[in-house]
Amino acid sequence: MKQFQRILKLSIAIAKAEIKAKNEGSYLGIFWYLLNPVLTLLLLWAIFFPRLGQHIHHYPLYLLLGIILFNFFQQATTEATRIIRRNARLVKSINFPLESLVGAVILKTLFSHLFEIILFIIVALFLNVPIAGILFYPLILILFCLFCLGACFLLSSLTIYLIDLENIWGFIVRLIWFATPIFYAIEGQTRLFFINLFNPMYYFITITRDILIYSRPPHGWMIAAAICYSVLFVLIGSRVFHKLKIRFSEMI
Amino acid sequence: MDRVVVHQVSKKFKIGSTKKASALTQFISLFSGKEPKKTIKVLEEISFSVAAGEILGVIGKNGSGKSTLLRIIAGIYHTTEGSIETHGKIVSLVNLHLAMYPQLTMRDNIYFLASVFGLTDREISGRFNHIATFSGLEEFIHTKIYQFSEGMKQRLVFSIAIHCDPQILLLDEIFEVGDKEFRFKSAEKIKGLVRDGATVLLVSHSLDLVGKYCDRVIWMDGGRIRAQGPAHKIIAEYDPLAGN
Repeated sequence: MKQFQRILKLSIAIAKAEIKAKNEGSYLGIFWYLLNPVLTLLLLWAIFFPRLGQHIHHYPLYLLLGIILFNFFQQATTEATRIIRRNARLVKSINFPLESLVGAVILKTLFSHLFEIILFIIVALFLNVPIAGILFYPLILILFCLFCLGACFLLSSLTIYLIDLENIWGFIVRLIWFATPIFYAIEGQTRLFFINLFNPMYYFITITRDILIYSRPPHGWMIAAAICYSVLFVLIGSRVFHKLKIRFSEMI
Repeated sequence: MDRVVVHQVSKKFKIGSTKKASALTQFISLFSGKEPKKTIKVLEEISFSVAAGEILGVIGKNGSGKSTLLRIIAGIYHTTEGSIETHGKIVSLVNLHLAMYPQLTMRDNIYFLASVFGLTDREISGRFNHIATFSGLEEFIHTKIYQFSEGMKQRLVFSIAIHCDPQILLLDEIFEVGDKEFRFKSAEKIKGLVRDGATVLLVSHSLDLVGKYCDRVIWMDGGRIRAQGPAHKIIAEYDPLAGN
């Protein structure tokens, strides 16, 4: 418990420093957290609405929520592939719980995610869509963060031993992006549906849309699958990280 | 009480080696960037202990294994053979000045590094002025680190480290950069910490400093301890061979 508290405190300190460092010298600073999803939303809406979005209820929100959640996953995991090497000097100078570097990645992503959620609320209010379901969002977010944390543990440790993974991951994320129903609906597409059963992002995005946009309870099996993926990823990820971290300082 | 006990420690590293690579391997390496590795022994059967209230100097040429030894004691590297026993909070200064965020201010970096050394925000706030004053950089609190000289960075990290309650202080060439006045002030501060029961391991090329402040000295050579004993005796043996 004491070690967990230490990791959490240190994760917060590192995340604070990283956020400050990231925004330092930028003219628009934290406004980029809003601008990025807005620009992506406008672009995707302009391209896909005429062909894919017309039969999807509340398509702008459907699209925005998909973008926001996938952004979280993409940002966190991409950053995780670099986080240990980027902090090589610190890792080689002080003995501290390296898990806090990964924890900081999640906290940092969570910080920008909050801005995106505010943006979602504003758009929903503008479109007159009830958003009472947002009260349940923290529960989904906890599960989602656990899943991303597990994925980040795996990626950050494996990249040290297999440096090519950093480049491969960029491609894999793009594949997952296309496979996940972000800008299209999966209904009626059996093959795609079957593929997505193995895609954790599908569950998180669908559950969140059900609750936040359509104000309906998600399917029980989908919630069960999301919980399973979260627990599985965080257990496997932390285990792998714990096993491999012993040689990080020597390999970077 | 011994704060640090090093018992029969050896350390091996795998390092890149293209010297005897075949033509095919060299050709492949043009594309893959992966080079053949060989194993080298950086430390070999190192044994010593350091008591509470003692300053141990570690001298030796570059590449003799001094920094690796400090990193192993700090728990940054793991031993290949042998064991390390430590009692007390370890604060290590092994190239720490390079680990600061250059785009952040001195203030932000104090909070950041002190957190990594285990201090809470409240503790850092309480010690902030002492850290800034001791470093002699009070007027640069809001200046970004990339505008600092190497000497200023070293002063800052040293000041942070000694205000983080170290019981085992590991210093790697921390006084090679910086002015005489700060060196003297720091040495006095170290003496104070040692009087309170801390242990200091000081790696340095400055034999004057080692001779003046260290009780005992270890002379490292090729990953082994060539000699250890009273500071003046070991320095006298080492000096003619040091070539500086």
